Amino acid sequence: MFKKILIANRGEIAIRIMRACRELGIRTVAVYSDADKNALHVQHAEEAIHIGSAVPKESYLNVDKIIAAAKQTNAEAIHPGYGFLSENASFAAAVASAELTFIGPSADSIRLMGDKAESKILMKQAGVPTVPGYEGLESEAEFQNAANEIGYPLLVKAAAGGGGKGMRVVHAQNGLQEALESARREALNAFGDERLLIEKYIPNAHHVEFQVFGDRQGNILHLFERECSVQRRHQKIIEETPSSLLTPELRQEMGKAAVEAAQAVGYYNAGTVEFIVDPDTLQFYFLEMNTRLQVEHPVTELVAGLDLVHWQIRVAAGERFPFTQSHFTQRGHAIECRLYAEDPASGFLPSTGKLLQFSEPHGPGIRVDSGFTTGAEVTHFYDPLLAKLIVHAEDRETAIQRMQAALKDFIVHGVVTNVDFLQAVLAHPDFANGEVTTRWVETNFNWTAPSEPSLEALVAAAIAEITVPGANQVSGSNEADPYSPWKSSNGFRNS
Amino acid sequence: MKLNFNDTALDISSNGKTFTLTLDDKTIHAEIGHGENGRLDLLIDDKRVTAYVSSDNARRWVTVNGQTFVLTKSSGARRGGHGHHHAAGELTAPMPGQIRALNVSEGDAVTKGQTLLVLEAMKMEIRVQASMDGVVKKLFIKQGQTVEREQVLIEIGEN
Repeated sequence: MFKKILIANRGEIAIRIMRACRELGIRTVAVYSDADKNALHVQHAEEAIHIGSAVPKESYLNVDKIIAAAKQTNAEAIHPGYGFLSENASFAAAVASAELTFIGPSADSIRLMGDKAESKILMKQAGVPTVPGYEGLESEAEFQNAANEIGYPLLVKAAAGGGGKGMRVVHAQNGLQEALESARREALNAFGDERLLIEKYIPNAHHVEFQVFGDRQGNILHLFERECSVQRRHQKIIEETPSSLLTPELRQEMGKAAVEAAQAVGYYNAGTVEFIVDPDTLQFYFLEMNTRLQVEHPVTELVAGLDLVHWQIRVAAGERFPFTQSHFTQRGHAIECRLYAEDPASGFLPSTGKLLQFSEPHGPGIRVDSGFTTGAEVTHFYDPLLAKLIVHAEDRETAIQRMQAALKDFIVHGVVTNVDFLQAVLAHPDFANGEVTTRWVETNFNWTAPSEPSLEALVAAAIAEITVPGANQVSGSNEADPYSPWKSSNGFRNS
Repeated sequence: MKLNFNDTALDISSNGKTFTLTLDDKTIHAEIGHGENGRLDLLIDDKRVTAYVSSDNARRWVTVNGQTFVLTKSSGARRGGHGHHHAAGELTAPMPGQIRALNVSEGDAVTKGQTLLVLEAMKMEIRVQASMDGVVKKLFIKQGQTVEREQVLIEIGEN
């Protein structure tokens, strides 16, 4: 087993990986940018190396600096987390060349699957169903022709893409050029690769993905599905397992296809095969494979009963699976909500600022993976994910109730969050009936932020104002003291 | 004592741990049980309420029963201004971020709806479009620059 691992990431996922390392008796090295000097993930690590400016390209995406940091600290392996360099084949190869272990699949698997165009071709050969479309186009004219062939609406996506970056839905021909340009720019910025592919856009589909896992001895299995259809701007916001859409037969068929997809590229370590499923026909199509740990991996951990990060590390260290497919069953139901620093009332625009309060819920069956704490700064440089709230219960209905109660206890002040929005989705009959598709938020869900503050909120604000000495003056003192007017107060109990 | 949050005026007086509030001719009795670190355990007209309150200049973040409101405290004499008033042709940043692409120069003629620049923050891109036909009178930003929310980016003038 490794003695020391460098975590080439930030935020909640870096912390989650560091926890696993600590449990396995492995020391940890964090890397950080200028913006993250005081970040929680830095405090969680035993060592921390500064790697550059706040702009990702100069820090978290800088291969040379990260490898140098690993060498400098004598780390033996690098865990890339998700996002950033996690699906960058050159990075995985560079790590290997530096005689370090990359905690993930082989550089070849990443290259083949990370390339949305090449992977589609491979999947077609392996007999896995794919969405109709074109790969390998270059000129404007080729894209125009292909677009006319496929018909609108269509989807433009980065060949190197993932997580909704570099992806655009185009509804008519006059929107194609700008979509190509902005997708290209976003892809270049995020992945350093501007190639795009286009395919038929299948609206009203469910997004159902399968967790796969392989050891280095060639054993590969799946850990069931995750239903991730609640999305905004192609970004998942609520994930759960099991999916209400799948029958036992379909689950088995898709699980088999997922394992075959992974086998086609000689896959090992944790990966996710994404499918879209037409709810009317129950036809499924391969969308892409994410060759890394997924944001929503906790729901699988709870229901399948396996710590995925532990096993990522163990597999990377050469351990063989002591289990087979038949060891695993789905136990209960798990749901994850992603708490974002964004304002659903104004088109999900990001919200930045200092966290004045950040208080996480606790209780049976509640798990919080977060990267922030009170006083932390949410900047515009990185993903607006504040925390993942995950619940586990014996059945779906109970899990929904548990999530609703837990969300009420999640207090975030200082940035606008999507908590009210998540609550509204959870309370919607379409969600209860398992009828949410990937376009549902955009097209079927009318939500308006509560405009009038409740009477109780006004009363509480007024009482806070006069209870705390000096709080009735509007002050600009919060730079120095974000908890003001509370921190200086000692007057509550006896006033 | 008179207080003003958003558009609502209220009056509050205290007697030790009990409070009397008037709001829209309604009288409310409240009592405070325990309060620390931004958490208040209250009894509002005999109903138990736990509230979380944070203060950020004139803003008050209040969470009650899982719902968070951002209130703006004003002097009460008159309604507080709703932000700085910008001239008609001024375009401001809808979110903090970085200017990824700047498609126009000063003096360029633009048409309503034309994408003038692209702003990027976190995982998203926002296209800032011309609000009217006209010419670019002034550019306040450069490509690559970081901007704050509400910062003036471009001024569009009449032809």
